Amino acid sequence: MHLLTRWLTTAALTLAMAGAQAADPKPIHFGDITWESGSLITEVLRLIVEKGYGYPTDTLPGSTVSLEAALARNDIQVIGEEWAGRSPAWVKAEAEGKVFGLGDIVKNADEGWWVPDYVIHGDAEKGIKPLAPDLRSVSDLPRYAHVFRDAEQPEKGRFLNSPAGWTSEVVNTQKLKAYGLTDTYVNFRTGSGAALDAEITSSIRRGKPVLFYYWSPTPLMGRYKLVRLEEPAFDAEAWKTLADAKNPNPRGTRSLAARLSVGVSAPFHQQYPELVAVFEKVDFPIDLLNTTLAKMSETRQSPRAAAEQFLKANPQVWHGWVSDEARSKVEAAL
Amino acid sequence: MSSSFPEGLHHSIAEPVNRSVDSLVLNYGDHLRQVSDSLLQVVTLLESGLRALPWWLLLVLVGALAWHAGRSWKRALALVVLMFLIGVVGLWDKLLQTCALVLVATGLCVLLGVPLGVLLAYRPTARRVLMPVLDVMQTLPSFVYLIPVLMLFGLGKMPAIFATLIYALPPLVRLTDLGLRQVDPSVREAARCLGANRWQVLRNVELPLALPSIMAGLNQTVMMALSMVVVASMIGARGLGEDVLIGIQTLDVGRGVEAGLAIVALAVIIDRVTQDYGRRSVRQ
Repeated sequence: MHLLTRWLTTAALTLAMAGAQAADPKPIHFGDITWESGSLITEVLRLIVEKGYGYPTDTLPGSTVSLEAALARNDIQVIGEEWAGRSPAWVKAEAEGKVFGLGDIVKNADEGWWVPDYVIHGDAEKGIKPLAPDLRSVSDLPRYAHVFRDAEQPEKGRFLNSPAGWTSEVVNTQKLKAYGLTDTYVNFRTGSGAALDAEITSSIRRGKPVLFYYWSPTPLMGRYKLVRLEEPAFDAEAWKTLADAKNPNPRGTRSLAARLSVGVSAPFHQQYPELVAVFEKVDFPIDLLNTTLAKMSETRQSPRAAAEQFLKANPQVWHGWVSDEARSKVEAAL
Repeated sequence: MSSSFPEGLHHSIAEPVNRSVDSLVLNYGDHLRQVSDSLLQVVTLLESGLRALPWWLLLVLVGALAWHAGRSWKRALALVVLMFLIGVVGLWDKLLQTCALVLVATGLCVLLGVPLGVLLAYRPTARRVLMPVLDVMQTLPSFVYLIPVLMLFGLGKMPAIFATLIYALPPLVRLTDLGLRQVDPSVREAARCLGANRWQVLRNVELPLALPSIMAGLNQTVMMALSMVVVASMIGARGLGEDVLIGIQTLDVGRGVEAGLAIVALAVIIDRVTQDYGRRSVRQ
């Protein structure tokens, strides 16, 4: 008898809980983007939405392309860091009015070719000699091919390109042609972001020269002293020849300044005007973001914890984004 | 939340592991890169050798090998056509890169796997120790060891070969061990009575009798090596896997399917040839 009552109580409780859950508003789904700046920005936005405005949120995992497709179908509602205008899928969905890119969330986001500082200036403390003291711009690279020696083709240098399949891989391949580096450098596609990171980190830890494509905001930028090689000033016409993999005569220029925004779906845009207003004002100072990311990656903090700490330590950054009421609510929750 | 694991018992090994990988990279990284660079020479040599052959000659060679293995003209022809088709879709160069990688990895597997299998068959202690190790090798997600291996040995073919070795070695070891243990003890006794020493028994009696099983193991090893091709391309090893990866990353399903089918075709060719050799060893 006793057992039966207990069983019944449990069943009733379960039912009640299920009912309560159904009454809850549907959570806002954020794309669970996995690169560091993306996951930190996502968590910062989620904290603001949850604590400041009281909407439940959730994340769904997926690759960039599949998340963009999911956003266009409203399967997810927000992508925290969207490199708007870079992927054909995004451009198409935006033209059709299915997705919106809000704000300019990280100004001076950057991409280009980098070398560790010690390659140029040496590092007396670690006993590293400057191997390429006059390396300033991409046009100096042919002279220093032997410094960045490729293991598979030792007579050439190795340029670490992004993984095949990324938009930047096409641009870098065209740049190699435009800067006349195809005879002196191997265009080494790294296969995955993890592999690119691991190779750069391993080289820097061992104090070896390495030449690689990279971008900012990233923990790598905050953690190590890196030098960006100069490229010709931006030229829209030349950029088109770089973005087109089939163009036989690309002309060199630095990359199109990236516009990072918060991607939202059309139904979200309609349903949550107050959140749209917040996302439009979001603005992370890039140096602060880089150092926060470096700390997060070094101490292996979870993005959620890093986001809480970020909000606590830098109130001046986000106070302007939100309403006064939301501000005090977020502060109370931290 | 009441049922969650008590926090007082939490203990993470992540930090010590991170630290030891870092110190390995710092202290032995340069040394290990030299080793891997010299091994890399072998792979690049094989690859450039394969690429130097005219395509039709390679097709003829594969046909001849298939015929020698199976003595069937039909099958040899079918396999040649299959390989020809990979060339037709424009993946010939990548096919050769993948072949070189798989051949070197398989070669290393045989060098390591057969002696290990022999050890397992003869030493019960070794088997008790190594069997769980083999289980771990087969089930540990490859990216877990791939990235540390990459940091130690550099990007590209070498970590790919190491990862393939870890994943593809176990079946060869297991089946060599099994084959040797299934040899009829009376045959072994007879050989010993005729005055053969242990080495002679192993070489002339046991290994030949275990050969069908070993060939089955080799066949499995090659198949598993091929299935690692896509993972290998994620750490910068070029070849067919690269196209599969690009296909996924850019939603270019067609390109992914093409490269995927090419991997299957290569698998079928290698599978049929090794199986035919395996069957021939049974008949002999």
